[in-house]
Amino acid sequence: MINLFTEPLDAFCGGFFLLTAIGIVSTRQILACLRLFVIQALLLVAAALLIGVKLSSGDLVAVAVITFVTKVVAIPWVLKLSAGSEIYAQREIDQVLNIPLALLISAALVLFSYFVATPMVTAVGQPFTDINLPIGLAGLVLGAFTVTVRREAMAQLIGLLVMENGVFFASISIVPHLPVIAEISAAIDVPVMSLIIGLLIRRIHKRTGSTVVSELATLRED
Amino acid sequence: MWQSILFNLIQVAVVVGLAPLVEGVLHRMEENVQSKRGPSIFQVYRDLWKLLQKDEIVSGESSWIFRAAPYVAFVMPIFVTLLIPVLTRYPLFFAFMGDMLAAGFLLALGGFFVALAAVDAANPYGAMGASRTRMVGFLAEPVFMMVFFTVSFTAGSTIPYIVQASWSAVPGGFLEPVHILVILAFLMLILADESRIPVDNPSGQFELAMIGKSKYLEYSGRGAALIKWAGCMKLVVLTCVLCNVLVTPWGLAAEHTLAAVLLAIPLVLFKILIFLLVLVIIESSLAKLRLFRISEFLSAAFVICLLAMVTRLMGS
Amino acid sequence: MLAAVLILPLLAALLVLLPIGHRGRWPALVTVLTNAILLALALAIAAHVLYAGAFHEWNRSLSIDAFGALLLLLVTFLGFTTAIFSWGYIVERRVGATRTDKVRLYYTLYHLFILSMVAVPLIAHVALVWIAVEMTTLMSAFLVAYEDTPASLEAAWKYVVLTSMGAILGLLGVLILYWATRVAGDVPFTWAGLVTGAPHMPKTLLWTGFLLILVGFGTKVGLVPLHTWLPDAHSQAPSPVCALLSGVETSTALFVILRLFPVLQAAPLVADPRPWFIAIGLVSVGAAAFLLLQIRDYKRMFAFSTVEHMGIIMVAVGLGGMPAHLAAMYQLTAHALTKSFCFFAAGTTLAATGTQEVGAVHGLIHRAPLAGTALLLGGLAIAGAPPFVVFISEFSIFRAGLANGQYLSIALLALFVAVAFCALTFHINRIVFGRAEDSPVHAIPKPCLAALVIAAIPMLILGLYLPGPLAALFRAAAATLGH
Repeated sequence: MINLFTEPLDAFCGGFFLLTAIGIVSTRQILACLRLFVIQALLLVAAALLIGVKLSSGDLVAVAVITFVTKVVAIPWVLKLSAGSEIYAQREIDQVLNIPLALLISAALVLFSYFVATPMVTAVGQPFTDINLPIGLAGLVLGAFTVTVRREAMAQLIGLLVMENGVFFASISIVPHLPVIAEISAAIDVPVMSLIIGLLIRRIHKRTGSTVVSELATLRED
Repeated sequence: MWQSILFNLIQVAVVVGLAPLVEGVLHRMEENVQSKRGPSIFQVYRDLWKLLQKDEIVSGESSWIFRAAPYVAFVMPIFVTLLIPVLTRYPLFFAFMGDMLAAGFLLALGGFFVALAAVDAANPYGAMGASRTRMVGFLAEPVFMMVFFTVSFTAGSTIPYIVQASWSAVPGGFLEPVHILVILAFLMLILADESRIPVDNPSGQFELAMIGKSKYLEYSGRGAALIKWAGCMKLVVLTCVLCNVLVTPWGLAAEHTLAAVLLAIPLVLFKILIFLLVLVIIESSLAKLRLFRISEFLSAAFVICLLAMVTRLMGS
Repeated sequence: MLAAVLILPLLAALLVLLPIGHRGRWPALVTVLTNAILLALALAIAAHVLYAGAFHEWNRSLSIDAFGALLLLLVTFLGFTTAIFSWGYIVERRVGATRTDKVRLYYTLYHLFILSMVAVPLIAHVALVWIAVEMTTLMSAFLVAYEDTPASLEAAWKYVVLTSMGAILGLLGVLILYWATRVAGDVPFTWAGLVTGAPHMPKTLLWTGFLLILVGFGTKVGLVPLHTWLPDAHSQAPSPVCALLSGVETSTALFVILRLFPVLQAAPLVADPRPWFIAIGLVSVGAAAFLLLQIRDYKRMFAFSTVEHMGIIMVAVGLGGMPAHLAAMYQLTAHALTKSFCFFAAGTTLAATGTQEVGAVHGLIHRAPLAGTALLLGGLAIAGAPPFVVFISEFSIFRAGLANGQYLSIALLALFVAVAFCALTFHINRIVFGRAEDSPVHAIPKPCLAALVIAAIPMLILGLYLPGPLAALFRAAAATLGH
């Protein structure tokens, strides 16, 4: 039963994964962004479990557990700890572009990721890659887009985390047997990155009284 | 053939007869969510009855459009009902008269007449509401077209019955990203088209903030009743398209017997009830958007639909 | 022995936190000693690699070959000189806050930063190499922001966010390469394994993986147009940190990209990588050369020169052939040695005058003769004037390219290098010579001078004479880049 439905259920996770990425591009509240990120991480966990069970890969189950611990539990906690009041600020955050334009560009980026992924999928023809690789790639690109168009420090950090999620969403299908040691190290890397960037946000906030990092523009060529 | 026509008529009767009930249940649920007791679920029938008893007042300055609009608005959802699966999963007599595009066109025609009538009556609020409705309509149009394209790409047809069959045929197809994304986009489209939160506040009484309702301010008596009824039917028709064609293509009558068709009525009503629950959750957890942010809402719907198309065309 | 190189900085990072001594002398002493031992270890490893070939440890999870040994040598040498310079610049001069615990934090991060950089050539598994490269960013973020000014925080922010973005792109590239090794059969996911497996890998996987790594790690190397963070971070960080960032951190990221060059050449169906390397390199050199003309901050000037030199190395590798690869290794070494000296000189100048602006300093050689001489030497050396080492390495690149018959590439490269030369000497001339002002000059801490002297020795000597073992190491390292 579970075997029959693994592929559709993985596709289901993929559809929502894409939606959360789009949501993070366009949401105006920091808190909502963070929640969407947590949902996205949960979808990643679900997909890893599904594929792990189907391919009977203990590594992927380990990935699911590590992802749950780091991204669903640790990162929101670390961010709360390091950048405290910032996330829970209810104010609206700005974008460089207006939202309809940002959304249209996101759609174009998703199309682009499909164009990049399709040759690889057809070249190898491994199960699940037809769903996970393009959608993971789209997560990566949309995360990068978020970092570029957001002006707020915390939103840029969430963009980075979305990129990371995208990479992992792709990786669970392309390399289901990556040694766990690499996964664990990568899992340590993500909270460390969040912690360091979170602390940096706090320092910037203390020093300049704002977290709108796009206003930090004293260093440039002229 | 006669059986087919009979079933078609039952379908129309169900939509016409039960539409006010659906609206009443929705009102009741909304009020309950806000911890109020709320009106009886049959209140809409009483309202309609009372309005039908009353005299109608028509401005002497208005033209025939003003008088014709309620009838046009009332008839269009009935035509659409003939085209879509409400109770049966096999096509009925009129099913091949028109496809989903035709259904959308018919509903839009009704809306167009009402908007014309609102301008015709020369009430300033009417014209304002009409222009805002048109704005939402313009923005919703591309979304509708995208939904239409995506569905037709997936199902290879635009006849609602065939689309429905293609979703329910493969068990896996139901969970595909394209399906989920199309459902979401269509849901957003319904919210915009039905003037519901977050696009408009259907229970608001403040004329300046109205989008949908201010078009009917000039109507009284029978005209008001017909337009109100037409609104209820439109909601039911759109809900049926969402529930029966897109979301859950199950629970419809599969056999060509009267009993099966009658049994489908409570099942369909149950599905509509679940949809109403979703609607109430959305309405009570979101706030109305500012007028200029409606474009963002609909562009989100458009992009979601675009993504559905991309995942469909590129994915497999 | 390889494990010791990883464990030592980790121990030292904890050791410097001990509340011993006062005014931060204890952490400074520990750091100098640790890095001296590391340098000795690296020399021993390099000698071992040179005479006994590549070797492995810990069940082959650590391994090093000639290229790795060269990079390790550079990292540890710069770690040692920078440790001495930090003693003067951070401890005695007291940049920023005056609290001792901040100095301790500096040294803890210093050791972790060194650890992450020495890990890059040592680790065998490529996915773990990625983590080491990412850690170089994360561990150095607060070193860049050490002075806690708005400008340094801005620089640190750009640095962390942009290079992390790059690193995540690189991660996908690494994973796609891993996928390719699985498809190619059960080859180990190491640099050597990639080369042996390359002929059997699907073309699209290899090429996509390479492009992602090129863009991702290219951000960290500072290749144009992904360089935007580099001048900021390399000018706002404290000077000893700049020396490490510019001298070797960029090289560690470049190491990963260069490692893929033989992989791509080993795959017969994949497009030839050489024109790509040359084009990307030339764009970087050209853009940096012209941007050098308009700088106003002399640390920024050296930062742009880093972009230029990274581009030169890319071109040298792209030219292909043993002489060009040898020249690339030479250039990598020359840049690391010279650039660290330049930033020491810039730091000394900053310590003496208190400003980073080119226009605000005149007649430095009269006001602070030592700083002025150092800046003059550093400027001439990095611009490529004889008899310094950069002159020899750039000259050998030109010669290799001309021998290959790649006249257009060499002509463009020579033009850009000439422009950069003029820009650098023009700005240095403005600072060093001219009418001296009467504004007061601060004393230069003695450890800074010691670091300058130690850093100057190889910069001068290697320009005149290349010792036999080092030349052999260059040849062995160049051989790892393929035919």
